[in-house]
Amino acid sequence: MTALEGVSVEIREGEVHAVLGENGAGKSTLMGLLAGHLVPDSGTLAIGGEPAAWGDPGAMRRAGLALVHQHFQLVPAFTVAENLALDSLGTLGGVLDLAGVVENAREAAAKVGWSFDPSAPTGSLPVGVQQRIEITKALATDARIIILDEPTAVLAPDEVLDLIRVLKSLREQGRAVVLIAHKLSEVFAVADRVTVLRRGRLSGEGRIGEVTEDQVARMMVGDLPDIWTPSERPLGETVLELRNAEVKGDRGETAVRGVSMTVRAGEIVGIGGVDGNGQIELAEALALVRPLSSGERIGADEPAYIPQDRQVDGLALDMSIWENMLISTKIPQTGSVRRGRVQGWAQGLVERFGIRLGSLDDPVRSLSGGNQQKVVVARTLSAGPRLIIAVNPTRGLDLKAASFVRESLQSAAADGAAVVLFSADLDELAQLADRSWFMSSGRLTQADAAGLTGGRT
Amino acid sequence: MTAVRPQWMRSAGSGLLVFFGLLVILVLTLAVFGLNPATALPTILSGAFGSPAAWGRTLARSTPLILCGLGLTLAWRAAVYNIGGEGQYVMGGIGSAAFFKLAGALPAFIFQPAALLCGAALGGLTAAAAAWLQAKRGVQVVISTILLNFIALNLLTYLVSGPLQESTGRRPLSDRIPADLALWRADPRIDLHAGFLIALAAGIALQVWLFGAWGGFRLRLVGENARAARAVRIPAEATQMKAMLWSGMLCGLAGAVSHLAMTRQIGMGFAEGWGFLAIPVALLGGLAPMGVVFAGLYFGALVAGCEVLARSAPIGNTLVYVIQAAGVLGFMALFEWQKRRELARRPALD
Repeated sequence: MTALEGVSVEIREGEVHAVLGENGAGKSTLMGLLAGHLVPDSGTLAIGGEPAAWGDPGAMRRAGLALVHQHFQLVPAFTVAENLALDSLGTLGGVLDLAGVVENAREAAAKVGWSFDPSAPTGSLPVGVQQRIEITKALATDARIIILDEPTAVLAPDEVLDLIRVLKSLREQGRAVVLIAHKLSEVFAVADRVTVLRRGRLSGEGRIGEVTEDQVARMMVGDLPDIWTPSERPLGETVLELRNAEVKGDRGETAVRGVSMTVRAGEIVGIGGVDGNGQIELAEALALVRPLSSGERIGADEPAYIPQDRQVDGLALDMSIWENMLISTKIPQTGSVRRGRVQGWAQGLVERFGIRLGSLDDPVRSLSGGNQQKVVVARTLSAGPRLIIAVNPTRGLDLKAASFVRESLQSAAADGAAVVLFSADLDELAQLADRSWFMSSGRLTQADAAGLTGGRT
Repeated sequence: MTAVRPQWMRSAGSGLLVFFGLLVILVLTLAVFGLNPATALPTILSGAFGSPAAWGRTLARSTPLILCGLGLTLAWRAAVYNIGGEGQYVMGGIGSAAFFKLAGALPAFIFQPAALLCGAALGGLTAAAAAWLQAKRGVQVVISTILLNFIALNLLTYLVSGPLQESTGRRPLSDRIPADLALWRADPRIDLHAGFLIALAAGIALQVWLFGAWGGFRLRLVGENARAARAVRIPAEATQMKAMLWSGMLCGLAGAVSHLAMTRQIGMGFAEGWGFLAIPVALLGGLAPMGVVFAGLYFGALVAGCEVLARSAPIGNTLVYVIQAAGVLGFMALFEWQKRRELARRPALD
């Protein structure tokens, strides 16, 4: 398979350059080439007009290139200061000037209006802050070209705004910023130029202002599916009720405080808000994965759960695709796996959900992020559950895959399922949910549709 | 995406690779120790396969390696890093010998399964204790199982000079079990015994269970991603505890088999390092039960051949350990290199 073909990209100083494309379009391959991790079969590379060699990560770093990965390259057990020092490590036996590194990083961060506590253990910080550390690492080494791989995927809405502000200030400092992204609205909020990849080829490029969102969307997916269908589903009986529920978090803190809610058959209840306000704990309690510390959960139906991070909570990455499709609460205690039968069933799901794969026997790791998520969604919805708990089910997915997941949830609700949708994406809630709450400090706060859209940018 | 070869072809391919790689390491090791491979290699080969007695030796030496290797595989597949096979093996021998002390008068058809069960139970309890310590007290299994090895060895020393010492009370050995209570042999002059069949059956059964039964699927899921297991309400801790119990039972069974078929009495020399040698057996067997059977046969043959080599070249017995270490290091490097090459080659998909 050719991952990229005939693609040319020009990255300029003082510009934010967005690279857009669906999963599998070749964005990560392009990034790997720029970072020196991959070598192309043909093509040339020039930095500042000088021809440069492919496949030399060290040389690219010295040329001022820095990567901000979607999965942070931070050591959770280290303090912030120690993580900042990772990029400026000398040889073994050398002396580490931690104070100097921290001072340098502080200055660089202050220039974009950030501050941080260098002695905090990194793993305990919210993802948004961890990302700042990761970006600060790049700033402190005076990187001239900063490539960010889907930086907004892990951020809450106000954090996204802050990131956009910072990217703009990096541009003003004369750096080149490459933003690998999915969300058109964010790209149009910050980028100067956009390059769109589709199936490994350049499907379009242009200056923001000269191309419209609609044009770019079409470059990405061909034809946009009609995803804005309002729901007029009849509501059935109460499927799930929480009464005054309290739930403890992993560190024993009270993460959910006195939440009461009901979910009825045929409705999608949305829960929005900034990450880390008890959403995960509430979702796990609804899904029976985490016990209530007090209160009551009433509902006889077996919950089907789409956890927030497919790689952490959803998949066994080195097991085969068909085995991953079998992961469910219905795995029997005993008996043998009828291989032919379950593989045939898995093949049926692959076709029904349009999962792009080589072979069912391949490890699920070999799939793109969107197709991995489809595996999780397919297996969760396949049995026609009456109660679905989904946490950020479209996070990090491209337009097509995301709208597919949304449609799947909608059609499950249309078939009479009760759906609780946790999402940091307000557009998504506005579009899907029949009613929504925000979550803040472990409590639900009522928010009507007007309030939701009013809170948007 | 490249054309993917079927799973069995990949397993067979890496199996052959391991086989020939170990052969190369064997030849190199012989050369390094100043033995002429042209003469030493045939000595090893004939010591392992040259006669019915040699075959019997190979299969008998393989038996504890296979059983312990299977035990370790089971725990490791559940991501519990049991390296206390040696201690659990010793506990198995103690269990069997203690049962003989208590009920040596039983007829063979009752005594043998009961003694094997006693050994397995004691090995299993030892491993389960380590798993319990991890679950309830956060003690790393890797550490506790190593330390339990020493506890088992010292317990053995105490028992064979105390409660389990032979009736005459002279040597630090347990009473020798009579020939009619020992495990079945086709020919008393040949080492091959019924224990090998037990090991082979265990290998086949585990292979089928691990990759073909829902229980095995649950265990592998817990081992691959305990959080994904938790999200579908499979209790990871309980599954790991069970895996550890069975792991220890297999190692304990190995000890009981050795006691009933080979040594017939236990003493300070009962711990011959089978539980340690089983670690490379499990690794080179690719943590797949049938792979472990083949790896166990390979090392069993090596041990058998080197025993014979040792009669003419004193270095013989040490060779096994050099080869296992070189083999594990070599293959870890090889697999790591393969993984890196694959990562570098693979086109990123998103």
